[in-house]
Amino acid sequence: MTITADTIPHTRAAIIREISDSPLKINLMELGFLPGKIITLHHTAPLGGPMAFKLEETILALRKSEASLIEVQLL
Amino acid sequence: MPESQTPSLVKSPRVAIIGNPNVGKSTIFNQLTGLSQKIGNYPGVTVDKKVGRMNYQGSSYEIIDLPGTYSLYPNSEDEIIAHRVLNQVSEEDKPEFVLMIIDSCQLSRGLFLATQLLDLGLNLALVLNMADIAAKKNITIKSFEIFKALGVPILSTDARGEKGLDQIRELIHQQNFSKKSTFLNIEEIAPTELLSEVKDKFGLSNFYQAYQMLRFGDKDKTYSVEDRKWLKTKLSESKFDLEAAQLEETKIRYRKINEIVEKTVVKTSEVSPKASIDKILLHPVFGYLIFGAILLLIFQAIFAWASVPMDMIDGFFAELSGWVSDQLPEGPLSSLITDGIIPGIGGIVIFIPQIAMLFGFLAILEDTGYMSRVVFLMDRWMRPFGLHGKSIVPLVSGVACAIPGVMAARNIGNWKEKIITIMVTPLMSCSARLPVYIILIGLVVPDEFIFGIFNLQAVALLGLYLLGVFGVFFTALLLKYILKSEEKSFLMVELPTYRAPRWLDVLMTMFNKSKTFVFEAGKVILAISVVLWVLASYGPPDRMDAIRAESEERLAQASPDDIPVIANETSSLLLENSFIGIMGRAIEPVIKPLGYDWKIGIALITSFAAREVFVSTIATIYSIGTDTEDELTIREKLDQQINPDTGEKVYNTATAFSLMVFYAFAMQCMSTLAIVYRETNGWKWPLIQTVYMTVLAYCSALLVYQILS
Repeated sequence: MTITADTIPHTRAAIIREISDSPLKINLMELGFLPGKIITLHHTAPLGGPMAFKLEETILALRKSEASLIEVQLL
Repeated sequence: MPESQTPSLVKSPRVAIIGNPNVGKSTIFNQLTGLSQKIGNYPGVTVDKKVGRMNYQGSSYEIIDLPGTYSLYPNSEDEIIAHRVLNQVSEEDKPEFVLMIIDSCQLSRGLFLATQLLDLGLNLALVLNMADIAAKKNITIKSFEIFKALGVPILSTDARGEKGLDQIRELIHQQNFSKKSTFLNIEEIAPTELLSEVKDKFGLSNFYQAYQMLRFGDKDKTYSVEDRKWLKTKLSESKFDLEAAQLEETKIRYRKINEIVEKTVVKTSEVSPKASIDKILLHPVFGYLIFGAILLLIFQAIFAWASVPMDMIDGFFAELSGWVSDQLPEGPLSSLITDGIIPGIGGIVIFIPQIAMLFGFLAILEDTGYMSRVVFLMDRWMRPFGLHGKSIVPLVSGVACAIPGVMAARNIGNWKEKIITIMVTPLMSCSARLPVYIILIGLVVPDEFIFGIFNLQAVALLGLYLLGVFGVFFTALLLKYILKSEEKSFLMVELPTYRAPRWLDVLMTMFNKSKTFVFEAGKVILAISVVLWVLASYGPPDRMDAIRAESEERLAQASPDDIPVIANETSSLLLENSFIGIMGRAIEPVIKPLGYDWKIGIALITSFAAREVFVSTIATIYSIGTDTEDELTIREKLDQQINPDTGEKVYNTATAFSLMVFYAFAMQCMSTLAIVYRETNGWKWPLIQTVYMTVLAYCSALLVYQILS
């Protein structure tokens, strides 16, 4: 089942399936959010603030709305 | 390169350094160039142009440090510059060689940009930086495989940029860069005819350059209107979908890079994840508490340490003025130098300690990796007001001084968020407002405790600071709905691994930022100080002459005790009858509803130079003399002022509060004005800001006075 990255539980690994169409799609892809890559949620800022994902060796912070563009499947 | 190419003998070869953000690019640049670096501006945008010289074995090389970027597709002004220089758009900045810095732990992301550079046909060499950190993570990179795949020279260095630095120098000296055949065939993505048409029209050397031209040429205002129009028409005629092409390019590029990375990166064993300090630093409660504590520490340090050099600078320029005035014959020239130019320069130099220290602390926070955590924590709180997580840095800097705050706003990529941040930062209560607040609070707020713990005066001061914060968010909200922008706001920041700050980089930041302020904002500040000096020292000649003559007469008959009194009264009279004095009287009807008389009007005008000038002007007007150090004297004098019409005190509670509110909001700082001019590239925003802040100050002060009186 695909869900969006803003809804994944902390520290559960998820594999990226697709990035939804949006003007920000290219920015996400350039940063390395590509189908097939594995991400884990590490930190969330309070009250719907940004979320920090581990992608390979880096931690990348995205806004919740940006994370919702990433379609993932939990592993 | 063969020596027959004469241009390289005449002009030193130019090397551009490029890389993703946070890969240690600036460290390498600083180590290569040291103090030889110069900071300029690229035309039309506010992006630092960092150029330095590397001297090695008798040869000289010009090194350009380009802003960090993830790809050739720019998202911000910074990245447009990287794009423009690398596309060799302007002849002036055209680099012969490109040194690309890659984070060894982030190979694929680095190669993404590197292969784009290859496709542009640039002479390239790669530096795999932070090899030591990769080793710690048990990552081994077989760099020979990368060399086989890309055909460009590769070096590796450690995070501090010490190991491997000589190799970099040697590589530059040997001009060991190479231009390999393209990595990705752009004809797979874009129609060949279109590409070749563009290529011929602009005399480009390959199809990827033509493709880049199609993508950005019509947005780059350095091209002629006809060229941009031509590109636009070509694009719409061909029905070529650029955005789809860009996505396609990204996919193909990453797929090909993955093939290389699979062959080159060996991860021997997974390092067991250490309990990250981010668990505490990004904690929903402790994270904010720690951030607050760090801010408190920084301000404590700035107020404690900056005041010493500031007092010294103040003293030095006062001495200098005095000394020069003794040397020169009395007259307008002497007065211009001692009362206009020297204090004007002093007024610029006095900001250096605050700017340098604030940027020193900011550089440490940035370099350790903490700053992006702050952005992470604050973004949610800033966004509802049209600001960005990055706006927090300018805003908190504003508590010390708006100038470094406005300068720090250039890190915000989104235009609208940057403008709002610049517009609101001067509303934070800076340290220059403090002397005004302290005198006025001391005058009208009793030094008593309420509930046995809170000092009323402290509560009033806190209230003024909160008022500033309120002004910031109110204005930001207002601008959020007024300003229109199609640019999409996004966050997407990397939270880099924590590390110790690199002190050379910190020192270079402090030095460069102070230098920028002095030389770029300094011109405007000096010009305004001279104008203010003219207005304050000259008036209608007959009136000024009469005052001087009468003063001479009185001095001739006076006893020695009376001389200072007469001198003070004379300077008071001269100021009252100068052009500024006349202006002060002229605006009296306007400021009367705020509870001010014309004397306060004069102080309002002179404190446009800087808020703290209020104190010295008031001292002159009320003939207190030049010894403004003694706050009590000023306070007593103010307390004795009686309004001749009403017979009541001039500085009653209502007037004092109205004045404090006015000073909280009004743009009374020409240095801020000058830096906003520089950071926004024109007079439009500084003028809007001045008008807005004056209106806000006027209305708020009016409200306060009418309620309290």
